[in-house]
Amino acid sequence: MSDLKTLFDSIFTASASLATAPILALGVGLLLLLLCDIVTPLRPARGLAFVGTLVVAAILQARVLFANSAPGLVLDGTFLADPTTALFGLSFLVGSLLAWLYASGYYDEERVLATEHDVLFLAAPAGMILMVGAADLLVFFVGLELLSLPLYALAAFRRSRADSVEAGLKYFLLGAFSSAMFLFGSALLYTAAGSLSLSAIAEHGLASRTALAGIALVTSGVFFKASIFPFHMWVPDVYQGSPTPVTALMATGTKAAIFGFLVVQLMPLLPPSAAPMIAVLAIVTMFLGNFGALVQSNVKRMLAYSGVAHAGTLLLVVPGFLAGADPAAASRAALFYLVAYLFTGTGAFGLLALLEADGERFTSLDSLKGLAKRRPAIAAAMTLFLLSLGGIPATGGFLGKWFVFSVLVEAGWTGTAILGVLFSVVALGYYLRVIVAMYMEEALEGEAAPTTNRTGATAATAVCVVGVLATGLLPALLLGPLGS
Amino acid sequence: MLLWLTFLPLVGVLAILLAPDRAGTQRGIALLTSLVVAVLGLVLWGCFEGGDAAMQLTTSIDWFEIALPAGHVVPVHFAFGVDGISILLVVLTAVLMPFVVLSTAGHIDKRFKEFFLWLLVMETGMLGVFLSTDLVQFYFFWELSLVPLYFILGIWGGSRRLYATIKFFLYTVAGSLVMLIAIISLLYQTGTSDISELISRAGGLDPSQQAWIFGSFALAFAIKVPMLPFHTWLADAHTEAPTSGSVILAGVLLKMGTYGLLRFGIQLFPEMALSYSGLFLCLGAAGIVYGAFLAMAQSDLKRLVACSSVSHLGFVVLGMFALTEAGLRGSVLQMVNHGISTGLLFLLVGMIYERRHTRMLDRFGGVARVMPVFAFFFVFTVLSSAGLPGLNGFVGEYMILSGTFLASPLWAAVAVTGVIFGAVYLLVATRRVLFGPLVHEENKALTDLGMREIGILVPLCVLALWIGISPNTFVGKTAGTLDQLSERIHQIRADDARTAEVSLLEETR
Repeated sequence: MSDLKTLFDSIFTASASLATAPILALGVGLLLLLLCDIVTPLRPARGLAFVGTLVVAAILQARVLFANSAPGLVLDGTFLADPTTALFGLSFLVGSLLAWLYASGYYDEERVLATEHDVLFLAAPAGMILMVGAADLLVFFVGLELLSLPLYALAAFRRSRADSVEAGLKYFLLGAFSSAMFLFGSALLYTAAGSLSLSAIAEHGLASRTALAGIALVTSGVFFKASIFPFHMWVPDVYQGSPTPVTALMATGTKAAIFGFLVVQLMPLLPPSAAPMIAVLAIVTMFLGNFGALVQSNVKRMLAYSGVAHAGTLLLVVPGFLAGADPAAASRAALFYLVAYLFTGTGAFGLLALLEADGERFTSLDSLKGLAKRRPAIAAAMTLFLLSLGGIPATGGFLGKWFVFSVLVEAGWTGTAILGVLFSVVALGYYLRVIVAMYMEEALEGEAAPTTNRTGATAATAVCVVGVLATGLLPALLLGPLGS
Repeated sequence: MLLWLTFLPLVGVLAILLAPDRAGTQRGIALLTSLVVAVLGLVLWGCFEGGDAAMQLTTSIDWFEIALPAGHVVPVHFAFGVDGISILLVVLTAVLMPFVVLSTAGHIDKRFKEFFLWLLVMETGMLGVFLSTDLVQFYFFWELSLVPLYFILGIWGGSRRLYATIKFFLYTVAGSLVMLIAIISLLYQTGTSDISELISRAGGLDPSQQAWIFGSFALAFAIKVPMLPFHTWLADAHTEAPTSGSVILAGVLLKMGTYGLLRFGIQLFPEMALSYSGLFLCLGAAGIVYGAFLAMAQSDLKRLVACSSVSHLGFVVLGMFALTEAGLRGSVLQMVNHGISTGLLFLLVGMIYERRHTRMLDRFGGVARVMPVFAFFFVFTVLSSAGLPGLNGFVGEYMILSGTFLASPLWAAVAVTGVIFGAVYLLVATRRVLFGPLVHEENKALTDLGMREIGILVPLCVLALWIGISPNTFVGKTAGTLDQLSERIHQIRADDARTAEVSLLEETR
C-alpha cells in the first residue's frame, strides 16, 4: 500500500496538480451540477454552478499560463502543460461558455433534460483540454472519447426532430469508425515502438512498415474528426441536423481541440515526405468546402461547408512545418487561427440559433432578406462574423489567414499559398451573398420578422464581436503570453 | 496630426451611430466631420515641405510582431507619414469629401444613418491607404476601404447593382489576395515592414524574387486602376453607383491603384519597373485609345464618363512608366486632375439625372436653353477633362506626353491620338446633351441648378482653373520625393548602359 502511495506521490507532483487542475475542476463541477439536480432547493443554482465551474477552471488554466515556469511534461510524461496548451485550454472554456449561452432558451420543448444538457456541455471542454495536452496516444484517446460521447448525445438532443436524431446517429457511427482507426493505428505503433508515448515513438522512428501504417491510421483518425478530405462527408449533415448551439461547439471547439493535438503533439512525428500529400489533401478540402458552400441555399449548411474549407486552410500549416518552417511560428499560427475562428464561428452559428427560435425557416438565405432593416444589430454582428470568416482586415479571421499563409511562404511554398488565397476569393462569393441578402434585398412578401431576444445570446454575441475585433486589431494580446 | 486626420472620420461615425436617423441630422454630422478633416488636410498642405524627399510628420505606434526563424522578429507598426507621392492625394481626399457629402442631398433618399456611416469609414480607409508607412498597415487599410464601397454600391445603387457590386468586390479581392502573399514573402525576405526600410532593402533581393513580387503588386494595382484587360468591372460599378459613390470611386479610390503602382511598383522595385516598362507603356497607351473608343460607343452618359476614366488613367500609367522626371510629375498631377474633372463630370451627370431620370444621350438635346448655368459648368468641365490649355487637364497631359516622348516616342505618338479621340467623344456628348433643337417635351420644363449645386461646383472649378494657371504650386509639393526617385532611376539606367557597353566591348574584343 505504501509502495502505491510513493508511486502516486512521485507521479502526482506539484506541477502535475497545477497542470491537471482545470480538468479536475471541470469534473468536480460536473458532479456538483448533478447534485443540484437531485436536491430540489438547489435547482435554480444550476446555471450558477455551470458558469462558476467554467470560471474556476479558467482561473486554474490561467495559472498554468502565467506560472513562472510552465509544468511541462507531467504524469510520467503523458500530459503536457505549457503556455500554448494553456491558451488552447482557455479558448475551449470560453468557447463552451459562449455555446452554452447561445443554447440557453434554445430548446423550448425539451426543458426536462436541461441538467443533462449542461452536464454534457461541461464534459466536452474537459475532453478537449486532455486532447491538446496528450503526449500519449492513450491519453489522447480518453480525451477524444470524453469529448465525442457528450457530443453524440448533444447532436441528437432535439429528440422530436428526425434530422437531429439522424445527425446524432451519423456522427456516432462515423465517429466510432474513426476511433477504431485511431486505436488500430495506436496498436500498430505500440507493436513497432513498444510504447504509446509520442516521444518514445519519435525516438524509435518510423522506419518500419508497421510504424508507418500505424502513423497513417492515427493521422487518418485525427483527419476524420478534423473533417479533412476524404473524411469530410459527415460534416454537412451532422452540422445541419444538430441543434445549432451544439453545431457551434462542434465547429469551433472540437476543431480547435483536434487541430491543437495535431499541431502541438502529432505534427513533429510526421515524416517530412508526407508534406506534399498533406498539402494536396488540404487543397482538395478547401476546394470541396468552398465549392460545396457556394451552391447552398441554407445558411447553416453553407456555414458547415465553410467549416470544412477552414479546416483545409488551417491544415496548410502542417506541410509548411514539415517543409521547414519555424515550429513555434506554425503552432502560433494554428492557435491564432483557431481562437479567431472560435469567436467568429460561434458567433455566426449562435446568431442562427437565435433567429431559429422564430422558426426553422430562418436558416434559409431567402428568409434573411431585409434583415438589416428589421433587426439591425443582428445583421451588423452577422456581417462582422461573415467578413471575418472571409478574411477581411480589422477582424481576427484576416490575421489568422495571414499567419497561416506566412508559415507556407516561410517554408518556400509560395505557389500553394497563392492557390490557397484564391480559394478565399471563392469563399467571399458565398459570404457576400448573405450580406447582400441582409442589406441589399427587400424582405419577402408576407414573411414575418424574427422577434426573439435572449439575454444569453446577446451577451455571447457581444463577447464574440469584441473577440473578433480584438484578435483583428490587437493580436499582441493573444500572442504576448506565448513570448517570441 | 496624421493620426487625427485618419481617425477623425471614425469620431464622426460614433456621433452618427448615436444621432437619430434623420436626413438633415446625419448629413450635418457627416458634413461637419468632413469639413474638419478638410481643414486639417489644408493645414497639412501648409506644413508640408515640398523640397524634402523623406517621409514627413511621421508617427508610429507598436502594433504586433511577426516572428521569423532564428529569433528575428518583424515589428509591425501603426505608422503614418506623408511624402511627395502621397501629399496631393491626401489633400484631394480630404477636400473632396465635403462636396461629396453635400451632393448626397439630391440622390440619397433612404437609410441615411448607414450611408453616412459607410462614407466616413471609407474616408478613414482611403486616408489610411495614402498615409501608411508600414506595409502591413497599408494592406489593412487597402482592404478596409473596399467594404464601405461594397455597401454603398449594393444598397443605394441602380437596378443592376447586385451584379456590379459582386463583380467589383471579387475582382479587387482576387488581386489584393495575391498581393497579400507577395507582402508576406517580402516581409520574410527583408525582415521589415517599414516602407522606407523596404525601399532600401528590396533591391538586394534575388531578381527572380523581385520579379514575382513586383508582378503580384502590379496585378493588384492594375485591377484597381483599372488597366486595360481588367477594366470591365469599372463601367458596371460606375454606372450602378449613386452619384456620390461614383465621385469617390473616380476621385479617390481608383487613385489607390495608381498610387500603389508608383509607391510599390516603381519606388520599391525601380529595376523591375525599368525592365517591364515597355509592357506598362503599351498597356497604358492601349488603355488611352481603347478607353476613348469605348466612350465613343456609349449611349449612356454616365457610362461614357466611366469609360473616359479608363482612358484618362491610361495617361497616368503611361507617364509613370515612362520613368522620366516630367512623366512622374505629370502622372502625379494627373491623378489629382482626373479626380477633380471626372468627379465634376459625375456630379453634373448626377444633377441632370435627378431632374430627368434618364442618362440616355438621345433623350436630351438643347438643354442649354433651359439650363444655362448647368450648360456653363458642363462645358467648363468637359474642356478641363479634354485638356484645354489654361485648365488642369492640359498641364498633366502635356507633362506626361513630353516625359513619355523622351522614353519612347512610339507610345507617346499613340497616346497623342488618344487626346484627339478624347476631345471627340467629350464634345460630341456635349453637343448631344446641350445644343441642337429642344426636341423632347420633358426637357422644356427642366429647372436650372440651385444654389446648393452651384456651391458644390464652383470651388472644384476654381481648383481646376488654379491648377491650370499655376501648376507649380501643386507640382512643387511633389518635387523632393519625385526628383529623388527619378535620380535613382537615372542612376540605374546609367549603370545598365555601362554594363551593356562593357559586355559589348568584351564581345568585340
